[in-house]
Amino acid sequence: IVCGVLNIDMAVCFCFRDRKEWADLEPVPQDDGPNPVVKIAYSEKFSDVYDYFRALLKKDERSERAFALTAEAIELNAANYTVWHYRRVLLQALSKDLREEMRYITNIIEEQPKNYQVWHHRRMVVEWLGDPSEELEFIAQILSQDAKNYHAWQHRQWVIQEYKLWDKELAFVESLLEDDVRNNSAWNQRHFVISHTTGFSEPAVVERETQYCLNQIRKAPHNESVWNYLKGMLQDRGLSSQPGLLEKVLELKETHCSPYLLAFLFDCYEDALENGVPKDSLDQGCQETLEKALEICKLLAQEKDTIRKEYWQFLGRSLQDRYGGEVSPGDATPTAPASEPQQIS
Amino acid sequence: MAEEEKQFEEFEQIDFLKDRHVRFFHRTLQVLPERYASLETTRLSILFFALSGLDVLDALDVVDSNIMIEWIYSLQVLPTEDKSNLSCCGFRGSSHIGVPYSTKGPGVVHPYDSGHIAMTYTGLCSLLILGDDLSRVNKQGCLAGVRALQLEDGSFYAVPEGSENDIRFIYCAACICYMLDDWSGMDIQKAIEYIRGSLSYDNAFGQGAGRESHGGWTFCAIASLCLMGRLEEALSQRELDRIRRWCIMRQQSGFHGRPNKPVDTCYSFWVGATLELLDVFRYTNFEKNRNFILSTQDRLVGGFAKWPDSHPDPLHAYLGLCGLSLIGEPSLRKVHPALNITQRAFQHLQQLQQTWRESTNSCGGQH
Repeated sequence: IVCGVLNIDMAVCFCFRDRKEWADLEPVPQDDGPNPVVKIAYSEKFSDVYDYFRALLKKDERSERAFALTAEAIELNAANYTVWHYRRVLLQALSKDLREEMRYITNIIEEQPKNYQVWHHRRMVVEWLGDPSEELEFIAQILSQDAKNYHAWQHRQWVIQEYKLWDKELAFVESLLEDDVRNNSAWNQRHFVISHTTGFSEPAVVERETQYCLNQIRKAPHNESVWNYLKGMLQDRGLSSQPGLLEKVLELKETHCSPYLLAFLFDCYEDALENGVPKDSLDQGCQETLEKALEICKLLAQEKDTIRKEYWQFLGRSLQDRYGGEVSPGDATPTAPASEPQQIS
Repeated sequence: MAEEEKQFEEFEQIDFLKDRHVRFFHRTLQVLPERYASLETTRLSILFFALSGLDVLDALDVVDSNIMIEWIYSLQVLPTEDKSNLSCCGFRGSSHIGVPYSTKGPGVVHPYDSGHIAMTYTGLCSLLILGDDLSRVNKQGCLAGVRALQLEDGSFYAVPEGSENDIRFIYCAACICYMLDDWSGMDIQKAIEYIRGSLSYDNAFGQGAGRESHGGWTFCAIASLCLMGRLEEALSQRELDRIRRWCIMRQQSGFHGRPNKPVDTCYSFWVGATLELLDVFRYTNFEKNRNFILSTQDRLVGGFAKWPDSHPDPLHAYLGLCGLSLIGEPSLRKVHPALNITQRAFQHLQQLQQTWRESTNSCGGQH
């Protein structure tokens, strides 16, 4: 019942319309009316498969031949969600072998790993089987080809959360980070695993993770992901109140600087201003902190992150407005008017 | 080569080739080769990219509006005589299901015919762009169809038969409700909860809770909240500042969608529009952004690609133009950053909505 090989060089089309076993069915062409728009020019072979697909759909036929045809339709266009839905209806109506379906969907995903429909289909089959045992290895395989495939990571998170497969995931994340410490998806997964297992409340966990981050920063300083992770973990506990952290970051500034380090420093200073004990804006400690923060803005705007010059200057002005009080600090950036609108060419 | 000629060539390299893009979209409207088969079920959204692209280029005059409008209405899933299919109503992406062509009701009974939330959204936008008054849109059907797609957790399916569910379809639902001026199509509170739940540790939005934050999903989150009029209710000032920071850090030359990923033309819109909605787009570097977008321009066939030296496609062609529009490219119309249509089309919508309200008031009852 397979319609020949999908080979565009073939002169003869073993079309459904020529087969006796399909003679009872009237093919249904696509009907775009008198003036089709954004029309796709299908070959005779393509139209034939889909004309018969539409015919089956119309009568909601539940048969083996229908099931076989869905595979052909998928091969021609794996993004057609109606075909996938119909295939699922048939899988259940005909009590098809779901293990075989797993093999089938595995192959398709390997060929087309960025298609939404194939991953959704796999999830449905896994749910019906109630068996996630192949998933982590399969997803790891897909990630080995593209370590940032969003669909793969999403499916992985679903499997782990649904079937409580947290056990080995942190180790998996660490191996990926060893391959590429800049893999933002892996950092996200790290946060996902820890927040659903130990959580980030325990000081021991925070300490361990902070150390881990600082080590990764030493190895590869120019990495936004690690700084985002560190800040994300600490930002609601007060960046400026983490014992010893500011000192470590100031040390790293000398040898492992980056725009992300400087932005983190700025955020520490801002946190100190917001939540620091001396609330009076005329207080010496407050003024010093403000000066330091404004120096960081200047460094970023003028040297270390010039593409965001306007933004860093804006942040400096905002901070100045909020904490500057009556006295303008030393040689910090003076309060400038809002910048002129940018002109292009 | 003489000095003058060399300079002219350099200038040409970053020249914005408006006519090529008009022709690119014009060709898109006609016939596409079979290798575009994967776009079959989303053809209406491709129409939207082309029409809105031409609108941004102020070149809609090359389009036969009436033909387009009829074709769009032929994609509407209308209620059947007994109205048993209300939860399936909306717009299809194309004629692929095989329902006979018709622009009038009642709806056809078919076991698998249903709308797709993104096609309802782009269908309505396309009608507006073409100057249609939406009088043939079955609003009751569309809203029932959208309502039926919302899950307990606040997210939406794309189709009533089931599909993946995530923040993209919340955005589509918000646009539909906004355009039809009727929020009975969704439970706003639940949608806000899902959006908040998608806020990641690094201060941007993933496709759902726990997932990696991403420029496209961040746009969906922020634009949805803006359309709902709930931005400052749903997010604190501190959260908004942190989101601004994440978004503005996406600029590398053009923009990328996630930290440590390559830049891609479409993010000049997804992230750019988000920054505009958050009122800090002016602090980005316009020149570098423009130079990147133009480096992905296809000088021969027109359109834009995701990267330089890659094939253009309708989505990147459209969003590349929108990215340029945001930075004020002179020959382009302004784009509404939340609804993603031109301000011109948006004004048409506002006029329509005014008419609807007046009509409701004068009737003193149901419209």
